[in-house]
Amino acid sequence: MLLAIDTSAGTSVAVVDRDRGAIVELGEEDTRRHAEVIGEMIQLALDRSGVAISELSGVAVGMGPGPFTGLRVGIAAAQAFAFGAGKPVVRVVSHDGIAWGHYAAGERGPLLVVTDARRREVYWTAYSGVDTEGLPLRAQGPGLSRPDDLPAAVDGYSGYSRLDVSEVSAASIGLLAEGLYLHKREFAGPEPLYLRSPDVTLSAGPKRVS
Amino acid sequence: MSWQLRRASVADLEPIMELETGTFGDDAWSSDAMRSDLANAQCYYLVAERVGFPGVIDGYAGLFAPQGAHEGDIQTIAVAEGARRGGLGRTLMQALIGEARKRGADEVFLEVRADNPGAQHLYETLGFEEIAVRVAYYQPDGVDAIVMRLRIPEPQTQPAGAPELKGSRSDPATPASTGRFFGTTGPLVLGIETSCDETGVGIVRGTTLLANVIASSMEEHARYGGVVPEIAARAHLEALTPTFTAALAEAGVTLQELDAIAVTSGPGLSGALMVGVGAAKALAVALDKPLYAVNHLVGHVGADVLREDGSAIELPTIALLVSGGHTSLLLVRDLVSDVHLLGETIDDAAGEAFDKVARLLGLPYPGGPEIDRAAVGGDQKAIRFPRGLSLPKDMEKHRYDFSFSGLKTAVARWVEQRRDSGEEVPIADVAASFREAVADVLLTKAVAACLDLGVPRLLLGGGVVANSRIRTSAAERCAEAGIELRIPPLSLCTDNGAMIAAIGAQLIEAGHEPSGLSFGADSTLPVTVIQG
Repeated sequence: MLLAIDTSAGTSVAVVDRDRGAIVELGEEDTRRHAEVIGEMIQLALDRSGVAISELSGVAVGMGPGPFTGLRVGIAAAQAFAFGAGKPVVRVVSHDGIAWGHYAAGERGPLLVVTDARRREVYWTAYSGVDTEGLPLRAQGPGLSRPDDLPAAVDGYSGYSRLDVSEVSAASIGLLAEGLYLHKREFAGPEPLYLRSPDVTLSAGPKRVS
Repeated sequence: MSWQLRRASVADLEPIMELETGTFGDDAWSSDAMRSDLANAQCYYLVAERVGFPGVIDGYAGLFAPQGAHEGDIQTIAVAEGARRGGLGRTLMQALIGEARKRGADEVFLEVRADNPGAQHLYETLGFEEIAVRVAYYQPDGVDAIVMRLRIPEPQTQPAGAPELKGSRSDPATPASTGRFFGTTGPLVLGIETSCDETGVGIVRGTTLLANVIASSMEEHARYGGVVPEIAARAHLEALTPTFTAALAEAGVTLQELDAIAVTSGPGLSGALMVGVGAAKALAVALDKPLYAVNHLVGHVGADVLREDGSAIELPTIALLVSGGHTSLLLVRDLVSDVHLLGETIDDAAGEAFDKVARLLGLPYPGGPEIDRAAVGGDQKAIRFPRGLSLPKDMEKHRYDFSFSGLKTAVARWVEQRRDSGEEVPIADVAASFREAVADVLLTKAVAACLDLGVPRLLLGGGVVANSRIRTSAAERCAEAGIELRIPPLSLCTDNGAMIAAIGAQLIEAGHEPSGLSFGADSTLPVTVIQG
């Protein structure tokens, strides 16, 4: 069983089990309240699931892509929870979770996942389909693009079925992590998928004042 | 009969003089001499007030011990006739010895009349030894003075049962005077601080510092000449778990032993704060421990309770907090329930001004230590830079507020004029004069607040306190004005998690309820909101 957290869009927290599926899932759509709601949502998800912390085998977290301030709250919380509980953290690409959910619902074929990156840009990841275990196969991305540039940014854009989503399900993140673990696939790396450099430019030197 | 010892002030002059003349007769000090000692910050006078009889002073004693002088002198001690043989003299002496130790003294000296064997015996039992005789010192009786010296014993190591202490701090000293025993009492709290560019995790037990680990992203900001919020926040996320691990190892405690977790909820950089808040909440849930949200600025004041000598902060106090992000003057009546903002900067923080002036002088970031270095050998009076908000009309409206933006521009203009006319810029003089302008306005306003409000105590906090001129200027101004100056150790002046843990422990000990899990990160949290 895993506690699963994703804050790449709103805030989503779930407790999942490989056999039982999603035991409980809570969501908060507001994309500006991650730090406020994360603690209560973890507490509530655990309480409602009836699963003791000691029964968890780890914490799954969505690593983005996502707008950085919110994304970090979920990753920080997952790491700290895992540290406190003495459990491992397993990381997945948030878009992979979306694709997993899409395919798990019976859909097939090439898929383009698109989420809001703010500042009039979108994050996107292209999937060719699923492997024999039903795990999504990433073909391109994740990437960052202006909406109008997307057809040019994605190779074979018209061949994908486009899926624009505004929420990421932590249950999907958790269940995908269970699948990756079971089938010995690679998890995502420790770096959050910000896909943007910090907003900063090197100064050309002090400005004159006189 | 029982007595309560308290620090004497000029208000106690009358009963003290009554006792002084009654005890010493012809030898008695003049009222003026006594008043001057009572008002001198380098002195420390105690009075013993009879419990249940406010204003009845049955004894007093005074110490002269400038901070950092490594030696102290017992100036005087007297106990009223009817109060003798109850151990009051010994208690007063022990308290003064404790204060001398606190002020860094290794030795304490005193003189005693050769015809007073009772007093000599008391001093011997306290560890004083005779080192010299001053012949016919006491006039007009012509009595010799015996000079005695106490070598202050080495501080005791930590009490049995306390965790092993390692890392960034030395062992605490047990104060000789109060007998206050610390090290094994008080709540065990882990504090998390991520309001700016330092990832701080500290662990305290009550007022005892067990660990203070800081991971700084300062170097990553250096090339930009200032803290880049997004870079700071990314660095917090990376540093947090390793910092937890290091702090627990340094303190020698486990997560399960913690009584509570405390976290900075503001003020500070929003994205940076959220990393700490998110992590703290999840950690609290995972461990099923209470969580306390703490105000960063109050944390800076709270750092003072972690002093290794264990001397309790005396309240009320004025606090001057100066860092790269804040320049605030506070009136602190109670650490957990009564902090009042007197004033703050209306534009740049003092630390920011240091960074900006360093840049225009071609010096690297962070500017504070660079300006400090560049100012060596410079003349601080070479250039009279403006003192922000110090004109009479400003003092009406902004008596305790600061402004450094105009100062920075004035320095820039002065440097440009020099460069334009092809003259060399005297970097040392500019650095010293600029630094003096900052120190002057900071201390003038802080001392004014102490005097206006009748609070003869000033506490400094924040990273800019590392600046040598600000420290010496504070010492001078406070000594002149009879204000007691407290500066926590530098490792506790810069942003750190230990100060947040310390306030958490204070909140718990004062019976405050935990903050729960629903508080947010508030980049503009007012200082009056001590618990977020």
